[in-house]
Amino acid sequence: MTQRISKSKRARMQNPILQFFRYIRLNLKILKIVSKGHGSTRDVNYTK
Amino acid sequence: MAKILVLGAGISGHVAAAHLRRKLSKEHQVVVVSPNSNYQWIPSNIWVGIGRMKSKEILFPLAPLYKRKNIDFLQAKAMAFYPEGDISENKPYVLVEYVTEQNKGKQEKVTYDYLINATGPKLNFEATEGLIPEKNKTHSVCTYTHAEPTWKALEILIHEMKQGKNVKILIGTGHPKATCQGAAFEYILNVERELVKRGVRDKAEITWISNEYKLGDFGIDGALLSYGGMTMKSNEMMEMIFEDRNIKWILGAGVTKIEDGIAHYENLDGEYKNETFDFAMLIPAFSGHGFKAYDKNNQDITDKLFKGFMIVDADYTPKPYEEWKAQDWPETYQNPSYANIFAPGIAFAPPHTISKPRKSKNGTEIFPSPPRTGMPSGITAKLVADNIIDSIKKGTMSLKHKGSMANMGAACIASAGYGRTQGSGVSITTYPIVPDYVKYKNTQGRDLNKTFGEIGLAGHWLKMTLHYAFIYKAKMKPFWWLIPE
Ligand SMILES: Cc1cc2nc3c(=O)[nH]c(=O)nc-3n(C[C@H](O)[C@H](O)[C@H](O)COP(=O)(O)OP(=O)(O)OC[C@H]3O[C@@H](n4cnc5c(N)ncnc54)[C@H](O)[C@@H]3O)c2cc1C
Repeated sequence: MTQRISKSKRARMQNPILQFFRYIRLNLKILKIVSKGHGSTRDVNYTK
Repeated sequence: MAKILVLGAGISGHVAAAHLRRKLSKEHQVVVVSPNSNYQWIPSNIWVGIGRMKSKEILFPLAPLYKRKNIDFLQAKAMAFYPEGDISENKPYVLVEYVTEQNKGKQEKVTYDYLINATGPKLNFEATEGLIPEKNKTHSVCTYTHAEPTWKALEILIHEMKQGKNVKILIGTGHPKATCQGAAFEYILNVERELVKRGVRDKAEITWISNEYKLGDFGIDGALLSYGGMTMKSNEMMEMIFEDRNIKWILGAGVTKIEDGIAHYENLDGEYKNETFDFAMLIPAFSGHGFKAYDKNNQDITDKLFKGFMIVDADYTPKPYEEWKAQDWPETYQNPSYANIFAPGIAFAPPHTISKPRKSKNGTEIFPSPPRTGMPSGITAKLVADNIIDSIKKGTMSLKHKGSMANMGAACIASAGYGRTQGSGVSITTYPIVPDYVKYKNTQGRDLNKTFGEIGLAGHWLKMTLHYAFIYKAKMKPFWWLIPE
């Protein structure tokens, strides 16, 4: 086994308080992507 | 009055039926045909496969819900398509066959004005010799009926490990062109975590086997992502996770045959190898259902409707990888020959793969087929429903709603271990799903502001939130439509 994730990093990944804020941030980031919606790639508005 | 026939009650069929019913007045009829009496939230099957959830937590019966919502439900399977009707039936119809005990084998012509084919994939286990759930020590988590016995087998293995047995576990893809690497990735991480929790991790050698050229390809050609303030390649991120958890990997492997505890595969170097195991979970090939189609005079027109999966508004012209464009991907999921037929979710035939196609030295194609995960399945189903609703209301075909997978994002929250405080998730979002190498030429086809990865407990909570939110939505509880696809 190669420890690729340091102990301190792992502690941060599992820290419920820090992760609670991560959770809120993740939700918001994903909502941003969802709210941007989806569309065509063939329309003239699909800017290059 | 219009009659809309929806084939399939998975993520896309159910989403389409729910939106159609909500937005169309009662005079219009919505009919769902599906062989399974239950709706299942497939992504949570991996937790059934590690014994952390029971199937009943991820499914509910469709008939009572559809009755309450005024959606007609036929527990049957589609057999053949007659988009022009036939000599005795003027309207287009689908020939269906009932699967319930009392009507088993009975066939019926179900007519329609609009047809949504949302039959998803056929889990084509037969394409790999010996790959049979619960046989030859191989298992599956693709459905709840598979995931329950998979957990039972794993539980027995854990018991044996506690008695001192050393075991080999093999998880990944079971066909040279399998897709859905994400589900196998989640399962391997969950199995690894379970073994740690049960104090037997040191008794297992865990190996990932996949048709991917690099780890983290996931059938979307990999991704460059933002991770903790850095820009990282998805293969680097997955290597970090696997190394950290002592999971070995075999890549570029096309599994062609399974014998009791042995996976035979060919790799991209053209070598024929095998890997032994005590427990394996290998994703099968996904294929079309082999539907046939006939015109009014009973002439076979299957080629007009199907290319494995259903033909839609994609550009299917064969061309080399270097010439693939974002514009090849469909946007309305409408069949070009029959304007009243649509195929969202996994049911549509993609123009080509997303990952670069590769052949072994012997000429065997070994690369992932393109995945269509839950989010695009739901989004494409909703836009198809919206176009049908507009068309019915306007009295003329309307295709205002569009959504190409090359102009659509997806959030993939991969569970990496179950537990309120001990759980973990790898959250990856990609925008767009299909890379557009022209628009985002310096960032491997994607927008780095919206393509990111995160690892940690928050990912597990998010995955749990999605489990409850999507089951709430599927049950069409109050304000369900506010939850996005
Ligand atoms: C184990 C696993 C884990 C996954 N995890 C995730 C995840 O975490 N996130 C994510 O986004 N995606 C995930 N996916 C992918 C996701 O489940 C699919 O993208 C999604 O289910 C596709 O929806 P669909 O409606 O196109 O197909 P399906 O959900 O497969 O639905 C097809 C429907 O058609 C019905 N049907 C089949 N044959 C017929 C017939 N002849 N006539 C009528 N009906 C028929 C079936 O019974 C079913 O109701 C996972 C997949 C698996 C297997």
